[in-house]
Amino acid sequence: MRTIDALALALAALSVPARAQDAGVPSGTEPSLAEQIEAAAGVTTPPGPATVVPPSPTPRGFQSFNPDLSVIVDATAGYGNRPSYSTAGDDPVLKGGSSDRPAGFTLQELEVAFQAVVDPFFRADVFLTIPNLEGLEIEEAVITTTSLPAGFQVRAGVFRSAFGRQNGQHLHLQDFTRRPLINEAFLGVDGLRAPGLQISWLFPTPFFLQLSAEAFSVPRPDDTGHLTSFGGGKSTDLTYTTELKVFAPLGDAVSLYGGLNAAFGKSTYPRDGASTSVEGVDLYLKYKPPNVAGGYFSLAWTTEYFLRQVQPLTAEESVAHDGGLYSQLVLQLARQWFLGVRQDFLGLPESSLQPRVERTSLSVTFVFSEFARLRLYGERETSRTTGPPESSNPASFAAYFQLEVGIGAHGAHPF
Amino acid sequence: MHPPMSRLVFLALSLELALPAAAAAEEKLQVVTTIETFADFARRVGGDEVEVQSLSHGYQDPHFVEAKPNLMVILNRADLLVRVGLDLEIGWLPPLVVGSRNPRIQRGQRGDLDLSTVLEPLDIPTTKVDRSQGDIHPLGNPHYWLPPVNAVRCARGIRDQLAELRPERKAYFDEQFRKFVDNLKTAATRWEAMARPLSGLKIVTYHKSWSYVSRWLHLVEVGYIEDRPGISPSPAHLAQLIQTMRIQGVRVIIVESFYNRSIAENVAEKAGAKVVAAPSDVGATPAIKTYFDLVDAFLKGVLDVVT
Repeated sequence: MRTIDALALALAALSVPARAQDAGVPSGTEPSLAEQIEAAAGVTTPPGPATVVPPSPTPRGFQSFNPDLSVIVDATAGYGNRPSYSTAGDDPVLKGGSSDRPAGFTLQELEVAFQAVVDPFFRADVFLTIPNLEGLEIEEAVITTTSLPAGFQVRAGVFRSAFGRQNGQHLHLQDFTRRPLINEAFLGVDGLRAPGLQISWLFPTPFFLQLSAEAFSVPRPDDTGHLTSFGGGKSTDLTYTTELKVFAPLGDAVSLYGGLNAAFGKSTYPRDGASTSVEGVDLYLKYKPPNVAGGYFSLAWTTEYFLRQVQPLTAEESVAHDGGLYSQLVLQLARQWFLGVRQDFLGLPESSLQPRVERTSLSVTFVFSEFARLRLYGERETSRTTGPPESSNPASFAAYFQLEVGIGAHGAHPF
Repeated sequence: MHPPMSRLVFLALSLELALPAAAAAEEKLQVVTTIETFADFARRVGGDEVEVQSLSHGYQDPHFVEAKPNLMVILNRADLLVRVGLDLEIGWLPPLVVGSRNPRIQRGQRGDLDLSTVLEPLDIPTTKVDRSQGDIHPLGNPHYWLPPVNAVRCARGIRDQLAELRPERKAYFDEQFRKFVDNLKTAATRWEAMARPLSGLKIVTYHKSWSYVSRWLHLVEVGYIEDRPGISPSPAHLAQLIQTMRIQGVRVIIVESFYNRSIAENVAEKAGAKVVAAPSDVGATPAIKTYFDLVDAFLKGVLDVVT
């Protein structure tokens, strides 16, 4: 401690003259403030904008036409007492399975992002991911128009659908280690993400109202033994979606963001080619004071409900329905601490299409900086088939540590 | 029904070229700024040719404005976007500008004005930087708008861009700008008198965000509460800072009013100093309605502690 004090003294003594010089203590010959203002104003208007800029002796940053490049790494370790009902594409997959208890380490996801403006008309964003060290995936490779008139925007390429709130988000925007159950159960293991086209329109209203329509060529799922909403039928069958999003700022601190969504396509199960539709409603309520002068507390509540209809292929069968819900609350308790709790349901209403699954998750996140966070996540899951015959499985538990870091220049995210 | 893509793009191009001229006759130019101080400059220089709105409020941290979708609606109608630049708004503005679907204000267009280009930034790193130093600004310090000389430069940049968007009103913008400069020169006498006792004052600030003000007022920055931006200061750093403050007799800690002051208060108490919750933008408090109010309030806030 004494050494540190001595060091501090020495440092302080050293740094003072340097800083005093830096701040430029008046030399006595400085022109008055009014004179400086007059000089900065210039006597006449310069003919063009180029002359406004004073010649800069220092280089203005590193100029490059390379896209912004960033890498996000999710290193995850965990333990589970048995496999859970289903696994999303970016969930952590630990070694072990039905016989062993899954445990150990995984690289839950590696994301590499390239983002840049293409020209005055387009920008492009490419995100490559490797989940659990298996295979390179195109998370998104999307071209977005920037210059269409009348509030229109077109996106093309491979991208995550605007259906619902969390489908469009990458793993590092999630407040929990695993995605909500309904994402994989209704939209596919990687959510609704496929090659397609989106046209969206910002209404000329005084508040935010946006309508979008999308068409996707959803690839046929690898596992056709489970119910998947889309990707069935002929290889030329498209999946169509439409989304309406509305935003209401309720004062400085409270925001309400809601969406109504619908998707139509062909299923592979129970019959290949059955017409399927998924409707969704999502709500995001956030309380966050406009500054932190009074403390760091903030709150975000998200709920989404999906309802699916599978149309019969023959006259004897009836329409099959099933639905699912999640509701999550994330509290910021201190500058660096976040607490999240989520409840997931599948089988609302109960149906023959899939079992009734309930999952309760808890996450505690410690934020080191904007670029690094450590999360402890735990979940308890139960599932029961509604029969006949009715059967229920014992509860499964899992817990994960997730260390997530980002390097490089990663583009800012939407609200 | 929809025209093909190439025609839409072509339409966008022709609209972009046609709009300013066509709209010039009667409609007011829609100016959107990222901070309230720039909104005040734009109102003064633009007069009744402009309608001005700021995306953030003076009581918000301009680094961490939430990218709320209603801001896209405001940007959608803008003819001119006036921003601070130097990556200050990088965490929230880019997705809003893309989401606004407004071709006029996209980067590099005539409706996109980065005011950091009209002055010389301070604190440009001269060696390779990385984020072990925290969330630093690699292009230079973006907190430049408070000193009156920079205010003039910013207003001049706005005047020139307005004149480019509406050339037939150039004389009017010149006249408005001149009025602002004259008002500043009147205030300068008062500000110089207020600033005199502050010359050479040793200060500690929350972040290294007061460099331009320190240079203007000849303040001596002895240290920073949060030495690595965005990373909570370590107890060892704070202990050393308190020590340094005691040795050097630092009596003032300047903290932007939107930051949490608990750590600074703690340090101040141990070091025998006082915390100034300093306004850094118009709108920081309801009483600060103009740039003149802002400079007065800032100087008075520091003077109150010193004298």
